[in-house]
Amino acid sequence: MDSLEIFVVESAIDSEQEFYRKIIEDNLASLKLAPAIGRIKVVLRPEDSLFQMAIILRDVGTRVTTIDIADVEAKPVAGEVMISIKKEQYIPELLGKLWERYGKANISQPDRWTVAITTDKPAEEAAFIKEMMVADPRHRLHENLVDFAVRATPEGFRVRYHLYKGNRFVFVASEEALKHEWIEEAGAMLEELTEGGKK
Amino acid sequence: MVVLLPYLYTGGVHKHGLLIELMEDLGGYIIQKVVTGTEVNLIMLIPEKDIDIVKKLSHELLGVLMEAPLTGVEIAVVSPTLASHHLPHSACDIAEYLRHPGANTNMIGLARGMGRRVSLSMDYERKLINEHDIAVFTFGSFSDCITKKKPKLFEGIEIPIVVTGGPAELKTEDVPGADLYIGNIGRVSHRLRRTEEINALDNLNEGVSKIASEIRQQQAKDPLAVLPARVMKEIENQVPEIRRVLSPAPLTLQLDGLRVKLPYDEFHEKIEKLEFDEGVVLSELANISRSKMKNYILIKIKSKSDVGFAI
Repeated sequence: MDSLEIFVVESAIDSEQEFYRKIIEDNLASLKLAPAIGRIKVVLRPEDSLFQMAIILRDVGTRVTTIDIADVEAKPVAGEVMISIKKEQYIPELLGKLWERYGKANISQPDRWTVAITTDKPAEEAAFIKEMMVADPRHRLHENLVDFAVRATPEGFRVRYHLYKGNRFVFVASEEALKHEWIEEAGAMLEELTEGGKK
Repeated sequence: MVVLLPYLYTGGVHKHGLLIELMEDLGGYIIQKVVTGTEVNLIMLIPEKDIDIVKKLSHELLGVLMEAPLTGVEIAVVSPTLASHHLPHSACDIAEYLRHPGANTNMIGLARGMGRRVSLSMDYERKLINEHDIAVFTFGSFSDCITKKKPKLFEGIEIPIVVTGGPAELKTEDVPGADLYIGNIGRVSHRLRRTEEINALDNLNEGVSKIASEIRQQQAKDPLAVLPARVMKEIENQVPEIRRVLSPAPLTLQLDGLRVKLPYDEFHEKIEKLEFDEGVVLSELANISRSKMKNYILIKIKSKSDVGFAI
């Protein structure tokens, strides 16, 4: 699935549809969500105070451990663990976790790609660090998706329903109490997207 | 009576004092002076017959002098709430753009303005909005909301109402209660910078200027007992504490009065007793009351017909 291979916004009035398409694009961009979303469909019905959204996510990868992003090497003689970074994007999370465990005083960064940790038990610590979870993109994605949904919805629609399961996300918002059929409609939109998004 | 015209000078800080001195000599007024780094913006009221002299001096100083039709107008930019749906775009963009022609804008976010059925405004908010000269309501993208649901927010607003919204095809008549509708400025999540968006902002400035000049024409039929700019100058001379106020516009001019950004309880008597050369005090010429905004002082000048004379 390509990112945003289906991007549909439906509304009774064409111009309003365009406004919301732009709002959704802007919010996707500011939350850096566009690469994570495969298919998205939004239906607007201002006369019923209703906003429905269905999203199918792309594979966003699983949990990231240190060994996925760096080489870890124990240096028993020097009493050090050397970490050579391969993927720079996770450095903030990695450093955060290392600081928490070893303290800032025991960690040095001789250059951009290297982190050195001073420790008494290099071998054991190296083994631990290798398996340590650095980041969980799915967790971050969930937070961002909910944030995105709230930002894209018209502000007054404060009664909300959301479902996040596997790679599927459904969001319904309204000003009135939610009706069952609205949620079912959103579910149907999701089915439609799953089948390849027949318009 | 001298006709004063509003102008904005933009130029370097170097020697801009000459301009201020010239304004004193000519009998004009400096409404606001904003220094940013090495740049200075002066908003001023210049006597009509002396404009050429000021133009010549600003040319010598390598600055730019342009007309600022919204000088001395205080505008309320009202957005349904202060949530991220409206801020910083588009409400801030609108407020900022209205300042280009010299207006002072205040942003007001209603507590419960969002939504269709549930939107409402409070008595306090309406009174606060009514203290301004013009209210600009920034609405969203649905024409259904703008024409049917949101106009209830206009109830109790006595000043001219300008509405901005997304749909370009709506007309002013379609929005009940509005004096002007400007399209193409709906809900956006990016900075307004595309051609049609800037055009819409220009339309807004033009429309608001027109409303301001209509108010001025109405006023000319029964002029104010004293010019707000003159009251401003007297306050600067007689209430030295105003110099220590850190707000960007300690004295904010309005079309029919001014807002003094000093605490009411401490200073209202001083303001009421403000003396003019003609021997009258301000309380004879104006209503002085507590502003809904932060306990400031609000001066609304009476008309000549009310007072019986004008100075």
